Amino acid sequence: MSQVQPECSPSVVPAAHSKEKMPPYTNYHAQRSYPMPDEPFCTELNAEQRALKEKEKGSWTQLTHDEKVALYRLQFHETFAEMNRRSNEWKTVMGCVFFFFGFTALMIWWQRIYVFPKKPVTLTDEWKAQQLQRILDMKGNPVQGLASRWDYEKKEWKK
Amino acid sequence: MMFLLTRNALRRFKIRSIQQIRQSHEKHSPDFHDKYGNIVLASGSAFCVVAWVFTATQIGIEWNLSPVGRVTPEEWNDK
Repeated sequence: MSQVQPECSPSVVPAAHSKEKMPPYTNYHAQRSYPMPDEPFCTELNAEQRALKEKEKGSWTQLTHDEKVALYRLQFHETFAEMNRRSNEWKTVMGCVFFFFGFTALMIWWQRIYVFPKKPVTLTDEWKAQQLQRILDMKGNPVQGLASRWDYEKKEWKK
Repeated sequence: MMFLLTRNALRRFKIRSIQQIRQSHEKHSPDFHDKYGNIVLASGSAFCVVAWVFTATQIGIEWNLSPVGRVTPEEWNDK
């Protein structure tokens, strides 16, 4: 089904008064929860379209299929299928989400350089290695914990 | 009961395939998301991954991970 937009201007109330909206904002707005607005999509009809509207006042069995489609297009901007189509907006949204999340990492980098205090001596590699030996000497958590993972005969971690 | 729920849930897949057959004509004018959505998503996630891997590993944050398997003990009481 070809989507040919009719030559029409959407219902724009003339400007210069209080309630009017400038284009592209009009009084026509359809959505899935409000599918049939009061005003038709096209209000300014050319002669051919006006003739069609006159014909619409008669019996609808007289209308051809193309005329029915044209009348639909005069009244509504999009079909339900067109109105409810999926979009790729989620890609833009998630891309921006990830971007800002990555920007947070840069902020943390800045904080590491300018805000974090000096690393305590107890967290240096040398201190941690000596502390580990001390815990192993004391046999800390020998049943299921740290010392149970150390092989005291071979002096290495258990595989 | 569970059978009915799963049957109804799975019916969604069959219905969607019919709709895809009918909705075969494309939108005429691609919008911003059609043109740039993939690029934005790919570059955003790549930047995020790179930034966080760098922050987690390269700038000197102490995670204090478990010494098991990583740290070789040193003598401590020889001073």
